[in-house]
Amino acid sequence: MTVTSLHNDKISHPTFQSRLGASKLTLKHGKVCIIENLDVSLPEGKVTAIVGPNGCGKSTLLNGLSRVHAPSSGVVLLDGKDIHCLPSKEVARRLALLPQDTLAPDGITIEELIRFGRHPHQSLLKQWAMDDQQAIDYALDAADLQGLKDRLLDTLSGGQRQRAWIAMSIAQETPLLLLDEPTSALDLGHQIEVFELIRNLSRQGKTLAMVVHDLPSACRYSDHIIAMKKGEIITQGSPKEVMTKELVRELYGVECDLIPDPMTGSPILINMKRVRS
Amino acid sequence: MNNQSLVISDSKQEIPTPQGYRLFSIGEHAHLLIEKQAVIRNTWLLIALFCACVVTLGSGTMPISPTEVIAVLFGHGDAMSQFIVQDLRLPRLLAGLFTGAAFSLAGCLMQTIARNRLATPGIIGIDNAAMAFAVSSIVGTGISLAPSAMALAGAATATALAFGLAGGSGTRGYRFIVAGIGIGAIAGAVTQLLLSQVSIDVANSAYPWTVGSLSAREPLMVNLLGAGLVICLVACLFFSTQFALMPFSDQVITGLGANIKHIRIIALTLCITLTGLAVAVAGPVGLVALVGPEIARVLAKYRGIPLVSSALTGALVMILADLFGRTVLSPIELPVGIVTAVVGGPYLIWILVRRSSRNSL
Ligand SMILES: Nc1ncnc2c1ncn2[C@@H]1O[C@H](COP(=O)(O)OP(=O)(O)OP(=O)(O)O)[C@@H](O)[C@H]1O
Ligand SMILES: [Mg+2]
Repeated sequence: MTVTSLHNDKISHPTFQSRLGASKLTLKHGKVCIIENLDVSLPEGKVTAIVGPNGCGKSTLLNGLSRVHAPSSGVVLLDGKDIHCLPSKEVARRLALLPQDTLAPDGITIEELIRFGRHPHQSLLKQWAMDDQQAIDYALDAADLQGLKDRLLDTLSGGQRQRAWIAMSIAQETPLLLLDEPTSALDLGHQIEVFELIRNLSRQGKTLAMVVHDLPSACRYSDHIIAMKKGEIITQGSPKEVMTKELVRELYGVECDLIPDPMTGSPILINMKRVRS
Repeated sequence: MNNQSLVISDSKQEIPTPQGYRLFSIGEHAHLLIEKQAVIRNTWLLIALFCACVVTLGSGTMPISPTEVIAVLFGHGDAMSQFIVQDLRLPRLLAGLFTGAAFSLAGCLMQTIARNRLATPGIIGIDNAAMAFAVSSIVGTGISLAPSAMALAGAATATALAFGLAGGSGTRGYRFIVAGIGIGAIAGAVTQLLLSQVSIDVANSAYPWTVGSLSAREPLMVNLLGAGLVICLVACLFFSTQFALMPFSDQVITGLGANIKHIRIIALTLCITLTGLAVAVAGPVGLVALVGPEIARVLAKYRGIPLVSSALTGALVMILADLFGRTVLSPIELPVGIVTAVVGGPYLIWILVRRSSRNSL
């Protein structure tokens, strides 16, 4: 029996409020269908973790939800409206995306990079305002970058650069934030810091979705988990409901045991063994 | 009274600006952020350009001193120098300034949207196509359509073909460049073919024009170019914050609420207009489009997209190259296109072989 059928009921009836979602979404790279007829929505004011093996379409899904990747069919709804029919700048004031691969202009400093995050709030005649500076200062603090803000981006370590990009999406001050592997290059301390920041942002009422590969962190810092495989959502729900050893085997071909963290109760993986299925 | 001034100074202090920028507030609703470095840089470039203009206007078979040139420019000076400066030399100088600025600005725009420093209109065949169309209107077909219009049509055709064949610009623009090089080669061959079909006299008179020269310019086309240049510069300033996003990946640009397709269309339209109009004046002097923006980028320390500076450096390179071509072998005159090719060719090779170049190539 597959996990899909085990959890089928949870897929078809999400019971939460949502500002961002998609229905019958099909996303293609060229002629190859990556995601087909997918229904998904992000619970409002919560942290959603998207997990799944490499190449299963997590980034493609985030790009689709953030209107960066136009759907071949189906529709992405932001606050009930087709996201591709809303003015792009208007969308950018509500929804920010931190992509997995980033590429920045030459010769800019961290602060300048973060300043680009204010682009959706600026216009030809309003190129700078008080809230721009405040948002940038907040983002610098949040990503622990005050001491580095005048450094050139090219001269930073991978993790420092990743924090700068996180800060840029925070400076965008959007109620919805999609983060594609925000902690993949971070050391333990900064990982926890970024996860706590994500928690804090959700306590302020923001809706967040993040792609995470580390399952214990995904369980610990999210309210909702979406598990993907081959472009499909095989199960979703609260970490406690979803995270089972069957799921881990199904997703990654890894046998393991799950034990609850003695302090927090969230699951920890032990005894991991790769099994080819 | 005292109170009021306090309030004003307070509200001025309130908005801290990013380092290196100044905020110009006009009334309540207009707040413009100006980069100090850019203002300083462009002021120096303007001063250099002015000096170069004075020297250019003063040199020739009848040398005129700089003070006399300046006097003439401000409406004084004797009748003879006035005639030489204003009627003989100024038109050529203006043609040089306008074409240089136009080529260079077009180059900077094209490099920006193609995300590749090699992608200038000259390299991807726009110059050649504009020239082929213009030459065909003069010598080939006998249809007396204005060469400006034909050059514009040629530029637009080449761009559309290059984009069509490459299927968009791609992330690094290589496909676009390769397609463009092919189109440029075909257009160059067409020009040669057209010239080989006409009498030797017509072909001879068209020759300086096909290598790029400021000696054959038409006043009407210079004026058209001047007007086009002003409009395009204003448009560049208008869209500069969006052009500044182009070095980011498509995902980030879209995520920040800008429309990549619109930015591309706007930049390409400006590029085609500038290149087409400039080719109609001076022929293909495309290497200015490579050299001008590069100098501007060095001056800007590789920060941002120096559109205005590119226009200024392009104008400077063009009139200096023309001055050099006119004076170095005087009385023989080297076409400016040959001078820029002699200077720009090695420069191009240097860019290609320089291994320490940053990831922007
Ligand atoms: N630009 C592209 N062109 C063609 N195929 C692509 C492109 N980008 C991704 N794909 C394919 O789409 C599928 C999903 O890719 P995606 O980047 O969404 O995976 P992912 O789940 O984010 O993986 P990872 O964990 O490695 O980031 C993969 O099979 C990949 O090969
Ligand atoms: Mg990914």
